[in-house]
Amino acid sequence: MRSTWTTRLAAALLASSVAGAALAAETVKIGVMAPFSGPFARWGTQFRQGIEVWQKQHGSSVNGIPIEVIYRDDEGPNPARARQVAEELILRDKVQYLGGIVFTPNALAIADLITEAKMPTVIFNAATGIITRKSPYFIRVSQTIPQVAAPIGEWAAKNGVKTVVTAVSDYGPGFDGEEYFSKAFKAGGGKVLESIRMPLSTADFSPFFERVLKDKPDALFIFGPGGPPTVGMINTWASRLKPAGIKLLCTAETQQIDLPKIGRAALGVVSAFHYTETVDNPLNKALWADLHQMFGKDAVPDLATVQAYDGMHAIYLAVGKLGARAKADDVIEFMRHLAFDSPRGPMKIDPQTRDVVQNVYLRKVEERNGELVNVNFETLPMRPDPWKEDHPEKK
Amino acid sequence: MKGLHLLPWLAALAVYFAAGGYLSLGTQVLIMILFALSLDLALGHAGIVTLGHAAFFGFGAYAAGNFAIHVHGDPLAGLAFATALTGLFGLATGALILHTRGVTLMMLTLAIASLLAEFANQAHWLTGGDDGLQGIRMAPLLGAFRFDLWGHTAYLYSLTVLAAWFAVTWRVLRSPFGRSLDGIRQSPARMHAIGTPVWRRLVAAYGLSAAMAGSAGALSAQTTRFVGLSTLGVLLSGTVLVALILGGTRRLYGAFLGATVYVVVQNVAAELDPFRWMLVLGALLMAIVLFLEGGLASLGDLAARALAGRRAGK
Amino acid sequence: MPFATVLLDGVSYGMVLFIISVGLTVTMGLMRVVNLAHGAFAMVGGYLAVILVRAGVPFLLAALLAAAAVGVLGAAAELAVYRPLYRKGELAQALMTFGLVFVVIAALTMIFGPEIKPLPVPGFLAGLVDVGLRPYPAYRLFLIALGLALAALLWWTIDGSLYGARLRAAVDNPRMARALGIDVSRLYTLTFAAGCALAGFGGAIGAQLLPLEPFYALRYLVLFLVVVGVGGMGNFRGSFVAALALGVLDTAGKYLLPEAAAYLFYGIVLVLLLWRPNGLLPSRAAT
Repeated sequence: MRSTWTTRLAAALLASSVAGAALAAETVKIGVMAPFSGPFARWGTQFRQGIEVWQKQHGSSVNGIPIEVIYRDDEGPNPARARQVAEELILRDKVQYLGGIVFTPNALAIADLITEAKMPTVIFNAATGIITRKSPYFIRVSQTIPQVAAPIGEWAAKNGVKTVVTAVSDYGPGFDGEEYFSKAFKAGGGKVLESIRMPLSTADFSPFFERVLKDKPDALFIFGPGGPPTVGMINTWASRLKPAGIKLLCTAETQQIDLPKIGRAALGVVSAFHYTETVDNPLNKALWADLHQMFGKDAVPDLATVQAYDGMHAIYLAVGKLGARAKADDVIEFMRHLAFDSPRGPMKIDPQTRDVVQNVYLRKVEERNGELVNVNFETLPMRPDPWKEDHPEKK
Repeated sequence: MKGLHLLPWLAALAVYFAAGGYLSLGTQVLIMILFALSLDLALGHAGIVTLGHAAFFGFGAYAAGNFAIHVHGDPLAGLAFATALTGLFGLATGALILHTRGVTLMMLTLAIASLLAEFANQAHWLTGGDDGLQGIRMAPLLGAFRFDLWGHTAYLYSLTVLAAWFAVTWRVLRSPFGRSLDGIRQSPARMHAIGTPVWRRLVAAYGLSAAMAGSAGALSAQTTRFVGLSTLGVLLSGTVLVALILGGTRRLYGAFLGATVYVVVQNVAAELDPFRWMLVLGALLMAIVLFLEGGLASLGDLAARALAGRRAGK
Repeated sequence: MPFATVLLDGVSYGMVLFIISVGLTVTMGLMRVVNLAHGAFAMVGGYLAVILVRAGVPFLLAALLAAAAVGVLGAAAELAVYRPLYRKGELAQALMTFGLVFVVIAALTMIFGPEIKPLPVPGFLAGLVDVGLRPYPAYRLFLIALGLALAALLWWTIDGSLYGARLRAAVDNPRMARALGIDVSRLYTLTFAAGCALAGFGGAIGAQLLPLEPFYALRYLVLFLVVVGVGGMGNFRGSFVAALALGVLDTAGKYLLPEAAAYLFYGIVLVLLLWRPNGLLPSRAAT
């Protein structure tokens, strides 16, 4: 009755290798966990688009080994559900890799699970600094919030912004954004007048932004989850603060896919991010072209699209080098030394932290051919995650 | 048909032996059943319409989680602690709001649950905020049974706790106290007239229901070793309400049926089609309400009547 | 003076809540139907307005047409799925309407995708208006004006007209009403449709404050329920006052005490309900 994990796993593997056809046993299965329904469904949709574009460009097999992607809905920031989904993928579907994972709580919830199960897990999004420390089997190909929040603080301090108010959504990533923006901004000589935290459920941002108006800073830094809060924040800024000359600074809030919802009010907003849709390199051009061809001319690549695309790249490289049934520790050892070109620019994994090191771009919203887009005006090459530097290996 | 009573329990045991990879889903179902059972006591019997029952589930979960982290990893001690504390919380909030009725009461339960959820979001030191409570390590149950990855211990543990609470509920509902609750639900005025201390009974029932929900939350924390903000959310309150109504209120096994069907269908639908499962579930709920009076448990009635009819006919 | 602005903000926010919630006051309060799908009707109204505006229809007209369409949908829904539930009790209604919300959310996601659909206000409303001390968004003033107009219209209809009298009679005592020759069934359908139309209208004109996306129906449902609950079931004036009170108190609170922002809304609800469990305004016998 109380069999150990390893005995059960051995039995299962034995059974599956005997019962299954040779070809079936050789398939590499990737379990992608993301929200596919509910208010965060956009993440799942974009992951899928990125994955399908990758597979169109590079085929659905590596050296004859078929690659199968299994999608599972974790519905949003729901650690209990994430854990259950991960368990099912590991124990029932017997995947070789886990991918996806949008929200930090979900990543944290499965950390001890993937360690116990020795499951290489490629994080396609979850962006808090501490995540890769929580399990030696995490590899992150996306970004960390400190990584993109610090540059905008640095830039602002150097470019005429003396005072700032930060207004962030009241959740983990919001605090990260507030902390690292403020730190970099203050290091550059700037002054933070006030730090406002707004409940995630806020529909009407006007009272908070009236406070900002009262403080009269040179600029406002915002951080929000995607969706209604972010659109609400920018619209409120545009109608109240922009006329008063208060600039807006942010990170992911002006991604091109969201600009039409904000409208021309977004013109001139400066942000820092690791993926700008208009970045000029062949991989990005190919991504756009394939995306349009497969999903219609209204499809726009977003961070989720590119991050999933790169996640697949990493897994394909691992399978290509190590085969279909590589040991997890070998996979991680291989992946921590990865370096390749992505549609976002060059990127590599830091061998110590298993986290992504990449360009961070400073960009401005402009109008091109009647469309609102982000255009890079400065590139900060190969930035690591500052959180890891501030918090040397504590676990 | 006394033998019929054993059926759900036998089924639960059968799942244990047969459903290897599905045990964690099974444990989830058992926990949801316990939660729905607690709601049946408050809503189905005492008539307290609550949209915030998740407050007790989450409260129990965080209590048990913190107990394991800061005091001791023994599951039964943590369970007892969480159950008692949540019961007290239920008594306190019940005392505050149970003089109201109807929509007002419903809104008050919602307000309290929402305030608790906001507090949990803010109190990082206690709850981990939106990252959730981590680092819960459970000691082996009764000193011998380790909580393994496959979920064997967790399942049997949850089943035993459910059975214990089921027995308690069964006794309570058959006692004069329990019967008075039904009377209060049907006509508080009449109960007042015959001298029943209505408010006190309601608060007591609410407190008991809260304790039960707290147990369910504690089980959730202990078996998944994680507590997130969703344990306090409106969505969970709505889900357990739907699950209970689906199965049928005031039915011995209504909570069992409803919770099982809801959780299983949601999982299966989400697995088959991660993009469209809401449509399937929504349509199913509507169909059941429109075509099946009294919830799923009434299917059992129909079957029993059909069988009896056939026997009589012979 | 910043506080005047904050007050206007609170009032305009409250007006949006009122316009959407008043339909729920009708269905849940007057007709005693637990309608958790109310937010879904508001959402559908918003989406329909988006389609119309994209097709070139002027904003206000689009909102009215969308409202009318949602009214028709509401009537159809009443006949098809709500009517059988009148006698089945509140729990059955809650369950069915919950299922309906899921279906609507899923359908809209499939048709329109999970993204927010912006509903831009027309030029003359998008700008700022000088209200004496500083420029203030015209759109918000427009919301206040609309809310007042709607409140006046409803007051006149429900209190002042024959329809209103019949409606109140039918709700208070359907059998007696029928005996007096009032077609109760038709009245119910009409009223339910009106409630849904109001929701649809609110969803359309409120889209700048409450952005339209498929999860709207569940995301803001609690707000609408609270307005109706605090205002008192079936009490129009109550829900008007409740919406304004909640809007102003919540907004002003956030401005003055942003640290307490998270607790404000439900804290206010708790206090208001404990203070006035039967609704903010004394309920007249019929309304």
